[in-house]
Order: sequence, then structure tokens, then C-alpha cells
Amino acid sequence: MMDTEEEDFKSRLAPDVTPNRQLPWLTGIELLSDTNQNKHFLPTGLEGIDALLGGGLRQGQVTEIAGPSSSGKTQVCLSSATHVVDRNFGMVLYLDTSNSFSPFRISCFVNQLHPSLPKELKETSLQTIMSNIYCQSVFDIFALLDLLHHVETTLKHTVKLGGSKLCLLIVDSVSSVIAPVIGGKNSQGWCMMASVGVLLKRIAYEHNIAVLVTNHMVGGENGTLKPALGESWKGIPHIRLLLSHGTGNNHGTTTVLKHTLMVSMHLDHHEIWSKWVVFFSVLEHSSVTGRVLYVAGDSFAYRTHASDTN
Amino acid sequence: MGEAKPENWIRCDETGKEMLSRVLSGRPFIIPAPPLHRLALRLRNVVEISGPSNSAKSQVLVQAVVHFILPKEWAGIQFGGMESKVVFFDLDCRFDVLRLSQILTHRISETCGSIGQIAFDELFHDCMSRFLYVRCYSSSDFLSSLKELSYQIQRKDETIGTGLRLLLIDSVGSFHWIDRSNQLRGLCKGKNISPQSLQEAIVHELHELLLLQPLLVLATKASLFRTETPNEYQSTGDRNLLFREYMPAVWQSFVTHRIQLHPSDELLSDGSEPIRSYTSDWLQPSVSIKDRFIVRDDGIFLT
Repeated sequence: MMDTEEEDFKSRLAPDVTPNRQLPWLTGIELLSDTNQNKHFLPTGLEGIDALLGGGLRQGQVTEIAGPSSSGKTQVCLSSATHVVDRNFGMVLYLDTSNSFSPFRISCFVNQLHPSLPKELKETSLQTIMSNIYCQSVFDIFALLDLLHHVETTLKHTVKLGGSKLCLLIVDSVSSVIAPVIGGKNSQGWCMMASVGVLLKRIAYEHNIAVLVTNHMVGGENGTLKPALGESWKGIPHIRLLLSHGTGNNHGTTTVLKHTLMVSMHLDHHEIWSKWVVFFSVLEHSSVTGRVLYVAGDSFAYRTHASDTN
Repeated sequence: MGEAKPENWIRCDETGKEMLSRVLSGRPFIIPAPPLHRLALRLRNVVEISGPSNSAKSQVLVQAVVHFILPKEWAGIQFGGMESKVVFFDLDCRFDVLRLSQILTHRISETCGSIGQIAFDELFHDCMSRFLYVRCYSSSDFLSSLKELSYQIQRKDETIGTGLRLLLIDSVGSFHWIDRSNQLRGLCKGKNISPQSLQEAIVHELHELLLLQPLLVLATKASLFRTETPNEYQSTGDRNLLFREYMPAVWQSFVTHRIQLHPSDELLSDGSEPIRSYTSDWLQPSVSIKDRFIVRDDGIFLT
């Protein structure tokens, strides 16, 4: 009885649209248990940013970090990759659009993680970490879309055989491949940007992966800077952070532009040690307001970073 | 000919009072949570909540969900909820179930005071199982989910079909660029489906659904295109609130109510912390009072 009814339904459905996958109807309870079991928080290695994110990069969500050049976006990406692999969450896929991936910086982070290990153990740990970070260069949006489709197909057909699974996908920076194609009256570029967004969110949710993307800044009204990629991109990431230079030569600021969970402007204070000197405030679009918190850090690391090209 | 007396034609079928009581019992008024509280909505209304990014539209939806899934009364405690099922179509794929559970937990704790953990869990479980969720990654996914929903309602399926009162769509404009580009490229799969007809099919499906089962539809729409305003509209208080409409005409005529949300420049102080506030403005039907609200951990509150 059920079969004939279903056949009848499918035949009514088929002329208009072909459903290419099962769309599950989940109740709130099932959603909640899936989130609690599968969607964990991945550490970025920078406790201040983890605090702002509510625990870290969340699997199943797309996090965006925007900021002007040399504000530390690539450092956040490299630090996240190192810490995630070091704590055995899984593998990391690093899509590099501007040749900013630096194995030297990864080894600096590993040194800071395990300062007291003897040299051989440090070497082995560095080897293990490096072998779990896959770095791939993409230089245009077509290659990016291709690669993301390929990643999705591979993930669908791979069975976990006891080895590590992909858990973090970093695209540094997604704006440098999207920005050249958008703008103007033609809607093709916007369509490709929207497709990248849908693909990233689908990969993140279906396969329990945290996606971290970076974005640069462009000039906005009244001479202020605003994140690139326009109004349509704002609807794509779950969480958006803004990094910017402070007035001092050692200071940077991190502000939250959008968050799914921490909607109020109250942030918990943490006495935290961080590799950089950062202070936090909560942003309302482009003007900085709210509570500020100074955190002391290691200025040597920041000076080293400042000499890297970003 | 003899039976059809002329007086029969002008004899009334029911009095106005009878009609009013029939209509009100079939489609009762709903006063939803703020900021939608200004107008008494009824089932079969379609409300479009528009606003730029970061204007708390999805929070308004979550607030409405909590209002609908709470029971009217439970173990002697009045909750004032609608005790009905809710289906959420997530086209934006950005729904966070932890936020829903956070607001629900706060509401239950506030109303109940201290109840035992088991009772709390049972109530929480009851409420969360009235919430149904579907993710759609394209317009055709959305269309097939709508068809499946109407099929389940016709079958009076216990899990999905019965007791449904609220339908939420997060971001009707999510696939705007993809659909528009497909339309221009003339892409179609199988038979001739242009995305224009895809939008029409979606609205048609929603319309059929509303006829099958009286529902309240809340849909958010991201305002993507800001229009240029002439100088007389720019004052110190209001910002430019005019946005260009990009949804097709068939959707625009389907919508019965419109409200626009906007993040405000001013910051209100709540205790020691400054909090961002939002303004809401009913566009259709036009109400002259603008509400201001804030979003806290436990929901949306008017100020």
C-alpha cells in the first residue's frame, strides 16, 4: 500500500523536478543531538579569538576573518591548522590563493607548542603535523569551484578507515578569487560567489568540517574600510570577525561582526595568554564601541610576523 | 420555475454575527512575540521580514518558533504558547539549533521557576519535537520539499502532517543570484523549466499548502540593493531605509504583510554594557509607530 502511494507521489513529482537526493526532515531533538555529537569546536590556538568565537571554530559552520593586509589573517589560519592537527582532530586542507602558506611559520608554532621536548621528538612531531596538512594552490574561481566539488565527491565516497578525516578547510583568501569576477552588471560573477557559498556550507554541514575563510577590506562610504565582496556575501558566513591594526605598533584588535550564538554584546572576560597583543571590543559595523580588554602577549612573535609578507 | 421564488434569492445564508464567529473560530487571531506584535496576524497570512544583513531577522524567526512550540499549559503552569508544530525551511543554511535551545531553556526556567530536571527534560523534549527542520541547497530542493510537505499533510502523517501552524522560510532571496544567472544562461534540466517558472511553481505550491492547511508563513528576505535617496530623506535619526525589491512579482503579490528591520546607530545601555538596538517598521499595512527592540541571550525584548 505504501509503495503504490509513494510511486504515485514520485510520478507526480517527476515531471516538474527531479529530486536528486533525500531531504531529511529533522526534529529539534535530532538536530540538537547531531550538533552535540558531531559538531565540535576546533581550537585556533589563539585563546582570545577562541573566546570571541565561543569556543573555537565550529564544525558545520563557515567562519570569516576580514581585515586589511598584514593584520594577521594568515597567521590565524596557520595557527589554527597547527593546533587542530596537533590535538588530533583530523586533517586540514589549506587552499592557498596568494602563496601565503609558510612552512616556516608552522614550525615556529610547533616550537611554541612544545618548547621542552628534545630535538628528535620535535622533529617527529613536526613531520606528523606537516603530513596532516594538505596545501593546494588555487588561483581563480573556476579552479576553486572544481576543487570544492572534487573534495565533496571524495568525502561522500570515502569510508573512514581508522585514519584521520578532514576536519578543517581553510581558504586563504577567498576574496582574492571572488573579487575579480563580481561587480558590474553581469550577474555571472555573483552567481559563482553564491555557488561557492552554497558549496562551502554544504561541505561544512554534511561532513562535519569547520571552514575558515579570509577576506580583505575595501574602501567604503566616508573613507572608512569595510569588508570586501559586498552585501550579498554577508549572508554566507555564519560568523564574521574583523581584525584590524590598533594605533600602537604592537597592537591589533579583533571584533565580532556577526555570530549565530553570541547575539548580545556581553563578552566574558578572560585572563588569557596569547601570542600577540590584542584587545577586544564588539563592533557595530564600522565604528568601534563597547568594552575593551587588554591582554598581554608575546611581542616577539608579533615582530616576527610583521616582517613576513602577508 | 415555481419553486425558485424570488424571495429565496435575497434570503440571507447566515447573519453577520454567525459569519464572524465562524471565521474567527476557523482562523483565530494570533498575537506573536515582539517585534511582530503590533498587528494581530491570522493563519493564512504571509509576512515578509526584510532588512539588511545583521538586522536580527533570523532572531525574530527563532522567537516566533519558541512562541509556537511552547504548550498553552503544562503541569498547571501557564506558558501561553500555541502548542503546535512548526516547520522551518532553511534556505540560507545558517540556522543554529543551540540558539533555539538557549532561548527555549531561558523561557522555561523563567516561567517555571524551579522544577525538577526530569520534568524540565520532558517539557524540553516535547517542545523540541514539535520543531521540524529542512535544509535546502537550491530552489529545486525547496520546491520538492514543499511538494513532499503537502503530500505528508494529505496523508495526515503523524510525524509531519498534523497540527502544523507555522511555516518559516529563512531567506527567500538566498538563491536569487543563482536562479537569475541560470535564467540568463537558459539553463534547464529535462523539460523546459526556466527559473522564472521555478519561482512561480514555488509560490503556487505555497498557495496550495495554505489552502490545504491554514498556516502562518513568516519569510525573511535580505535587502541586498540599497537605492539612492534624495536629500530630504536623510536626517540625523533615520538612515536611508529604501531598498530595491528583487523578488519576482508573483512573490510580491503573494505576501500579505511586510515589516522591515534595521540595526540602529544608537546604542542603549543595559546595566553597564552598551547594547545594539534594532528598529522595526511595518510597511504593509503601514503603521506609523516604529518599535525598537534589543536582542539578549534570552530572546527579543522591546525597549
